[in-house]
Amino acid sequence: MHNNEKINGSGKRTSFTHATAQAQAAGSIEAIPATVKDFRCPVCSKDFSGYPELKQHYTEDHPDAVIPVTVSLNINGKDCEVLIEPHWTLQRTLQFRLGLTGSKLMCDRGVCGSCTVIMDGRSVLSCSILAVECEGKNIQTIEGIAANPKWKPLVDAYCKWDAMQCGYCTPGFLVSAKSILDKNPHPTDEEIKEALAGNICICGTYPRHSTAIMEAASIMAKEGE
Amino acid sequence: MADLEGVNGQREEFRVVGKPNLPGRLSYALAAGIAKFGIDYAVPGMLHAKFLRSPYANAKIISINTDKARSIPGVADIVTWEDEDIKKLVSEGESFAPKEPWLDNIADHEGVEVGVIVVAENEDICEKALKELDIEWEILPHIVDIQTGRKPDFPVIRPEERMASSMFGPPVPKTGNVHFSTLEQGDVESGFKEADYIIEYDLNMPAFASHMPNPSGSVAWWFDDPYHGGGKSLHLEGVAWRTDLAKDAVGRMYKMPPEKVIHRGIFQGGKYCDWGLRKSQEITPLLARRTGRPVRCMNTRKDTFDFLINQRFIHMKVGFKDNGLITAIDDYSIADGGARGSSSFGTSGDQHYGPYFTTKCLNIKQKMEVVDSNRGKMYVSGQHCPFNWDSITMAIYLIAEKLGKDPINIARLNLHGPVSQEDPEPVPSFEACIETGKEMMSWDWHSAGSKKLPDGRMHGASFRYQMSPRHSGATYNTKLELRNGIVHMPTQGPCTGIFAVEANAMVVAEELGLEYEDVIVDFDYREPFFPVGGGSDGTTASAWVMKECAHILKKNILKAAIDEAENPPARSMFEFGPPEDPSPFKGLKPEDLDMEKGKIFIKADPDKSVPVPKAVKKNIFATYSGRPPLSIWSQGMGKMLDTMNTAYCEVAVDTETGEVEILRFGVVADTGKVIRRTSLESQIDQVMYFSQGCQLLEDFVYDQRTGVKLNTNMFDYKKPTIKDVPHVERDFLESRAGNAVYGASGISHSLANTHAVIIAIHNAIGVWVDPPATPDKVLKALGKA
Repeated sequence: MHNNEKINGSGKRTSFTHATAQAQAAGSIEAIPATVKDFRCPVCSKDFSGYPELKQHYTEDHPDAVIPVTVSLNINGKDCEVLIEPHWTLQRTLQFRLGLTGSKLMCDRGVCGSCTVIMDGRSVLSCSILAVECEGKNIQTIEGIAANPKWKPLVDAYCKWDAMQCGYCTPGFLVSAKSILDKNPHPTDEEIKEALAGNICICGTYPRHSTAIMEAASIMAKEGE
Repeated sequence: MADLEGVNGQREEFRVVGKPNLPGRLSYALAAGIAKFGIDYAVPGMLHAKFLRSPYANAKIISINTDKARSIPGVADIVTWEDEDIKKLVSEGESFAPKEPWLDNIADHEGVEVGVIVVAENEDICEKALKELDIEWEILPHIVDIQTGRKPDFPVIRPEERMASSMFGPPVPKTGNVHFSTLEQGDVESGFKEADYIIEYDLNMPAFASHMPNPSGSVAWWFDDPYHGGGKSLHLEGVAWRTDLAKDAVGRMYKMPPEKVIHRGIFQGGKYCDWGLRKSQEITPLLARRTGRPVRCMNTRKDTFDFLINQRFIHMKVGFKDNGLITAIDDYSIADGGARGSSSFGTSGDQHYGPYFTTKCLNIKQKMEVVDSNRGKMYVSGQHCPFNWDSITMAIYLIAEKLGKDPINIARLNLHGPVSQEDPEPVPSFEACIETGKEMMSWDWHSAGSKKLPDGRMHGASFRYQMSPRHSGATYNTKLELRNGIVHMPTQGPCTGIFAVEANAMVVAEELGLEYEDVIVDFDYREPFFPVGGGSDGTTASAWVMKECAHILKKNILKAAIDEAENPPARSMFEFGPPEDPSPFKGLKPEDLDMEKGKIFIKADPDKSVPVPKAVKKNIFATYSGRPPLSIWSQGMGKMLDTMNTAYCEVAVDTETGEVEILRFGVVADTGKVIRRTSLESQIDQVMYFSQGCQLLEDFVYDQRTGVKLNTNMFDYKKPTIKDVPHVERDFLESRAGNAVYGASGISHSLANTHAVIIAIHNAIGVWVDPPATPDKVLKALGKA
């Protein structure tokens, strides 16, 4: 039984477990709308019944503006369609269209790794990639990783070893960590450092990540036996 | 002073406190990405707001025409400093500066909010509207080079008195752009006459970015509230709190009673001693009221480069005897006073609390010029406390070099005793730290430029000491509840990276005989308990108060167990089954009982026990408001000493490339008592990485001509990465000599340093390199570039 799931003196379980976070992460994925329901003009906030009507509105009322587009994505295994302006980044789309806040905006220009997601098996920085470039792509965010029981050992190890302080950069690190383990189930300290060199933590948690990732790798290997 | 006034301050056995690897209460939420910081909030139908940010370092808006901007589709509102709504605003946030207009037409550094706020359907439209403002600027002379700005003939950039009063002293007088702050004790001239040697040296500190990971901002809206009388109530997301001083600060700004403000912001990010509210956190209620819609206002990364240290130039003159004993200290500093509203930490506030007062030297003169500048703003901070600490570290190093002695011995000779500057006794905590530190580092001192490593690089080392401060004098309001047999610790949080809530929960568990996991932490913004008051100093102080509260709860639980044994509560009509056995506590007194593992047991017969929920059916509440006795640190300001810490640094310098590698840092800290080990270790790593950053990488670069900061982004302003940071050896001592919980003391930011690496570099190559010691500067110092 994990440390956090001990039965307390009263016979009731405490509520700050992986299970709670997992359920909330799963809930946020569940809440992703599969299709575009709101055809709201981003310029004047008028609502329209469909995309053709919105396009018509642009032609008539905002002839100089770039018309929003729809993009189909697969986010954490769930197909969805989003209506965005063409210059929107994937990070902005995840936050403002899909309600996923795990991809954090820190540097806003591809330096810090806080917005890391995995796209078709590759780590990418969602602040530096346009959502329109992601058409048809499979994208894993931290919510998808946290919701997947397979990755419980990784989340547990991060929490056990305080591989976070303020926690803002943590999801980005965890996505990178998952990406490492996808490619290399038994990474060394040096390999982990190399792979996490693009994730910046201002709070100084750096040594914790190798410890957590290697512990998770070991547990996951045993679970896989 | 140890924790003698409270309950169980000298407890000897610990089951929970000090234990490693207990997950933070919100760690799973953080790891899973479901924790929402201010910037994460998006509300249906919300508008976005952006401030006009000054393109000039010092300028005044003479006139502005907003017509064109207002005509842009999607612009919902534009307010200027001349609007009555803006004129009425007064910040209630923590500030050391005189009150000033909340927003005016004067911009005193590049990038500052000035004059105008645009509200629009999205941020892109805000940006477009800001570009369409027709503004007439009066560009004024600026100071980003404080050595130039201090000259008597330089134009005065800020004629009015804007200098923050010192936290520890009166306001200081001003002439031109310079405030003068002088502090003197003893007879410095006599001290120099008494000296066998006099050394003079310069110590220059660069500015260092605060750089919170999460850009600040807020979302606000007004709503009909049927529960708290008429009128709208305010909902705020993403606003930081700061103890009672500024709790509900934004609500108060809008004259709202606390019960009518939903004031969230539990996840505050890395606000390490930066508790200042940003305008983006204060303005959204006004804009939401004006537009009738939720409004979001967020700073960008560029907007978030405030100062954690201001620039300072220190010229030191130190006299000492031929055994190394310092007889006189003369510190002449020129410090950046920053833009309006900058904290006096780092300038005049520093003069009152060390580091010179930790020495036996009684002849001390500190003269400081604090220069108004347009470089930027330092919000409440103290990451380097005090900022000039390493001026004494460098003095000790130079004396050691001069006399061919180990700097640890020079430090030991000069450090005064626990009671006063005239106390010759050794400080036990310091002695223990250096004994452990020397062993940990295999300390083998060598003179400058005398040790070459097998790979050809030059080896250097440095040593540094500091007091472990606990400066929090705040009162903490604690409450614990036994509800349905479960112990709850209600708190407003916050979660800032220092795990203060967790340390408190561990103390509760310790005192009540529970496991850490058994204490339920209820996070609720309405709760008064706020365990933060700095870093570990606030944590250990609040945990002292919580310990007292836990003791009261325990007494009440045991009393209730006896009461219920004597008078069992009547069974409700919904309780079925056979009657419960009589309580084994019948006929006993509360003092006959104790608690362990979630059970109440008879001390004389521990086998007789009853689970708490069964022994005590009623709900019990305990409260305690107060604070631990004032710490030695805050009473003595360096002149009295208890818990200490020491730090060590080893570097290798490649004299061909100029590259500096920190081989390792070492830290031996007397924590008094370790409370939450895992985060303590991580905080120590953090402070050493902070120190590495400001000595090897970080610096603000300005265009001197325009006063514009050139590197407010994470490409050009370098923070250490996982590949950069060295190993940090650490050891924690537990002297139990601190006055906070169980004799703990804070470490906080006392280990943050500006020159431990720089001194080690000097020890390697025999020449000084000002921080940040980039390879080009090292080569230049070596005469190779």
